[in-house]
Amino acid sequence: MRNVLRMTLCAGLAVGLHAWGSAGETNDVVELPGIGEPAGAAHAAIVVSDPLEPVNRAFYHFNDKLYFWVLQPVSQGYAYVMPSAARRGVRNFFNNLAMPIRLGNCLLQGDGTGAWVECQRFAINTTEGVIGFDDAAKRCWDLPGRRADFGQTLGRYGIGPSIYIHWPMIGPLSARDSVGYVGDYFLNPLTYLVTDLPPSVGIQAYDTVNDLSLRPDEYERFKQAAIDPYLAMRDAYYQYRRSLVAGGAGGATNDPVTSTR
Amino acid sequence: MNGGGKMRMMYRRWVSSLVVAGLPWVGMTGEALDQIRRSTDKILAVVQDPAMQGPAQAVVRDRRVRSLIDERFDWGAMARSAMGAHWKTLSESQRQEFSGLFSELIKNNYLAEVEGYSGEKIRYQSETVAGKYGVVNVVILTLRGTDVPVSYRVLQKESGWFVYDITIEGVSMVNNYRSQIGAILQRSNYDGLVAKLRGRIAENKPGPPPAQAATENEPKATERKP
Repeated sequence: MRNVLRMTLCAGLAVGLHAWGSAGETNDVVELPGIGEPAGAAHAAIVVSDPLEPVNRAFYHFNDKLYFWVLQPVSQGYAYVMPSAARRGVRNFFNNLAMPIRLGNCLLQGDGTGAWVECQRFAINTTEGVIGFDDAAKRCWDLPGRRADFGQTLGRYGIGPSIYIHWPMIGPLSARDSVGYVGDYFLNPLTYLVTDLPPSVGIQAYDTVNDLSLRPDEYERFKQAAIDPYLAMRDAYYQYRRSLVAGGAGGATNDPVTSTR
Repeated sequence: MNGGGKMRMMYRRWVSSLVVAGLPWVGMTGEALDQIRRSTDKILAVVQDPAMQGPAQAVVRDRRVRSLIDERFDWGAMARSAMGAHWKTLSESQRQEFSGLFSELIKNNYLAEVEGYSGEKIRYQSETVAGKYGVVNVVILTLRGTDVPVSYRVLQKESGWFVYDITIEGVSMVNNYRSQIGAILQRSNYDGLVAKLRGRIAENKPGPPPAQAATENEPKATERKP
């Protein structure tokens, strides 16, 4: 079982590396005629390269069924028995534990301020926040967290997202961010704290269910608003990642003009 | 140690500037921002109105929210922008048909969104205006403790500022639709797109489940008869 995970990750790495070769040329930002806005305010649309679409769509449907048949009922039942304050605490705990991912990537991005904020947050939340269950750093110290991951770091280094991959269980990732996903796996303390596969998968699943319970209906609403949910998710993913890369660890920027990747 | 102290000073300044920028009532007199805020407040007031609760009031509530959304959204501009380059190829009747369906899809979704409103705070942050166009930035403080940045792209007309795009966490709604529509038109044609839109709208009609809706429609039907 453990080997299966490893192999999947390695396969992801291989695909990612292969896709790097074609990065950049397939992801040009093209200007589409908007509604006659001034040139500077024109929306930049993203052209996503998706040669794996048939496979991706199959995995999308798999994940969709997984959500409606398993994750949604489980998270609803969980939300029913677990008060929301406790669920927020669990989310904060996992977030705090994953600090090395953000710290490492802030450093890799040359974001000293971000790295310092992450250190402060970890110190505060681990002590005052009772091993991370309370985000005291944000609540009492006005220190909101950063969003930094390895895919974003690679993006800031100038690497384009490349082809789209809708992974089973994991969900949407670009080839670049799939490599980032593997990188973050090795920066995550959970990888070393829990080395046996069954408990490790269990913890991952619990984290997912807990997180879903805090944003019920989000996926349903997203699906409802879409004309073609697969295409909608693919584009939303690329837009979101583009703004995260443009904004750096400071957070997403909402300005499509400054987002070029 | 010294460096840490300096950083902290810098950090405090940064934080306090953030806090000041975050206060909606400090120097925020922008017209576009004001109008967005007023419309949002009105919509949330309807949704939260104790007299408007329950499935019996759903039809009236929906109608009110819809008309409030209509007052602030420019569906034509939104549809045109979502169609992108294909807009030129459409006939006048096709444009109207598409705009109608497209706005219906968005309205239904917006309605579902505000119906699910459970007291999230909205922080009105800033507006930037360049000629007829502007951007209004707000942050939604969700109940799970995360801050979601939302930008309204607005366009000035005689009767005020109208929304033609909403960007959430860097994801532009209109761009998202444009890329879907582009991909669908590449494989299919305008009729295929319209059929798909109709299907989606029918599938996701907002409101109570069919069984409830049926009983609810009855009194409405009798109301209309006399």
